[in-house]
Amino acid sequence: MRLLLVGLSHRTAPVELRERVDFQARGVAPALAALAARGSTREAAIVSTCNRSELYVACDDVIATRSDLVEFIGAFNDVPRSDVAPHLYDRADLEAARHLFRVAAGLESLVVGEPQILGQVKEAHSAATMSQTAGPVLNRLFHASFAVGKRVRTETGIGSGAVSVSYAAVALARKIFGDLDGRSVLVIGAGEMGKLTALHMKAQGVQHMTILSRTIAHAARTAEAIGGASAAPWEELDSLLGSTDIVITATGAAAPILTKARVESVMPPRRSRPLFIIDIAMPRDVEPAAGEIEQVFLYNIDDLQATVRENLARRESEVTRAEAIVADEIEKFGAWFRARGAIPTVVALRQRFEAIRRAELERLESKLSSLSPEARGRVDEITHLIVEKLLLTPTEQLKAVGDGESVSIYTEALTRLFGLDGSAEAPAKESNVQPFDRNRRR
Amino acid sequence: MQIAPLLFYGAALVAYAWHFAERRAVVGRSATTLLVFAALAHTFVIGMQTMEVGHVPIAGATSAISTFVWLLALAYLYTEMTTDERAMGVFILPLLVALQAIPAFRPGVEARNAVLQGPLFGIHVSSLLFAYASFALACVIGITYVLLFKEIKAKHLGFFYARLPSLQVLDRMNQVAIVIGWIFLTIGIIVGAVWAVQARGSAYSSQVQAMSVQDPKIFAALVCWFVYSFELFAARRIGWGGRRTAYLSAVGFAIILLNFVGASYFLTTSHNF
Repeated sequence: MRLLLVGLSHRTAPVELRERVDFQARGVAPALAALAARGSTREAAIVSTCNRSELYVACDDVIATRSDLVEFIGAFNDVPRSDVAPHLYDRADLEAARHLFRVAAGLESLVVGEPQILGQVKEAHSAATMSQTAGPVLNRLFHASFAVGKRVRTETGIGSGAVSVSYAAVALARKIFGDLDGRSVLVIGAGEMGKLTALHMKAQGVQHMTILSRTIAHAARTAEAIGGASAAPWEELDSLLGSTDIVITATGAAAPILTKARVESVMPPRRSRPLFIIDIAMPRDVEPAAGEIEQVFLYNIDDLQATVRENLARRESEVTRAEAIVADEIEKFGAWFRARGAIPTVVALRQRFEAIRRAELERLESKLSSLSPEARGRVDEITHLIVEKLLLTPTEQLKAVGDGESVSIYTEALTRLFGLDGSAEAPAKESNVQPFDRNRRR
Repeated sequence: MQIAPLLFYGAALVAYAWHFAERRAVVGRSATTLLVFAALAHTFVIGMQTMEVGHVPIAGATSAISTFVWLLALAYLYTEMTTDERAMGVFILPLLVALQAIPAFRPGVEARNAVLQGPLFGIHVSSLLFAYASFALACVIGITYVLLFKEIKAKHLGFFYARLPSLQVLDRMNQVAIVIGWIFLTIGIIVGAVWAVQARGSAYSSQVQAMSVQDPKIFAALVCWFVYSFELFAARRIGWGGRRTAYLSAVGFAIILLNFVGASYFLTTSHNF
């Protein structure tokens, strides 16, 4: 059995095409059913996200299946084959596995190490399980890819550090205050950016949120949009500054609203409580000098963007370590996958032995006819046990062989020794290594 | 015999440093395991010495250092287990290794002076050792607080930012350690004073006669008490906190360390039993 991947992603296809080839929108289950009905695959799974659509299948004939999959992707999505074909890539066997491992690890993502992709790969597998298109090969492949995703996330820093401005602000707040439960947030300005960051804070467990605006009606509207927030008039600015933990400023004011002197004046009653000010306004709402005050942490939009850039660079530097993990897991999966090449031979060997047993019993039919039915049953049982015992060790040995070259040597030898060529299934030669080139190498 | 715990502490130090740099969970767990083994070995050593000489070896400076290291290791392990935070280990372990090196290379338990009998003396030394261990933890936590504070303030979110718990957590841990340390320091000093008055009446000894505020060791202990009292009470009133509290706990522990190790061997005329 061979493994094949055909698909497209943000690396090969423009967004216009990715929107047209969208299995998620048309339904992964119907797609899997339609694909299974074509009969070119034995197992199939579809990884579908907004940045990629990939078909992972197990099949017998890679070349025929590949062209059928290209046909299917076009037909199922109502996109002419000529439009989609130039943007498709394909990988076979371990290269297909490597690609899925890289996807699960976040190495193929637009933002390296983004966390959602592993969940999406898991969804792809459970959809295939539900549609009963996942078999032993894909089950093994996908479970291995989950392991890769998990290892890469725990053993490398590829998923660490915030990579968006609002998430960077939340991460900073956590580093200052620890738990955000019970912290209070003051949002100055009722604009869109302030609202976004406030929503992020709310999602992180902040309970007390106050929106302050020059027009109370604006503040009330934004507070309602966020949900669970309250609005306050402009006059309360100083008293709110004295009691809040986190301040987000996002007004359109031309001159700074929070001067150093103003912030300093609210600090004494706060004692040693830290004040985290996030200035996402352009031009700035907070005088940069305010950041010099002890226990005041002032970050503006540029600072946050700079930390985001640093985090992205750090993620890039973790890529090599993640790739080493992928290589390690490919090694393990490869050993299993290549050992599977022996299975057709094992099946053929069993069929051969069983056929011999049956033939012999038939030949002796006349001599056995005098026996009682009970004794005949015993003969059948004993001969069956002998065959089983004879086959046990070779079967186990063959399954334990780890590398593809040895597998093909063994299967070749067995095929010749027992004359398995004429049986129902010929032994698979899934690797490109020729059975007899071992002589040349040694 | 003190060398076995030292080797374990050394191994644990390497593991904690490795864990801090690489953040691998397996390494972190082995670091903790090594430290637990070190503490067990140390417990065994101290237990053996107690059986050998018939009392807990805290009378001489060298044995007291060994017991202090043991207490600090236990206190740190307790903090690690309760907070699930391993990052501090890399700061604590160098102290353990450096101090444990003293008893390891000055083997044997000092003979106990006849004056140093009775429960009061035991309480005096053990509460002070426990106070020192708490202050050592507070100092390390304070140092990490300052490191993290500087990174956030300078908007350069790097090495420590990724590894340390939040400022709030560090601040709280620092306060708890100082409160515990201060309580035991106070008990230790009061009990010591009571003991000295009693001892002066009952037996003659040049050391006991030298016990006054002029003695460097006693003087330094009182300075420490004032530093930590200031940090605990006065500082809260005038709004000190965070970084300045952290600096104070470092200063306080520096005095303790100099007093504990330096003054014991070279300066004091009253505590050189």
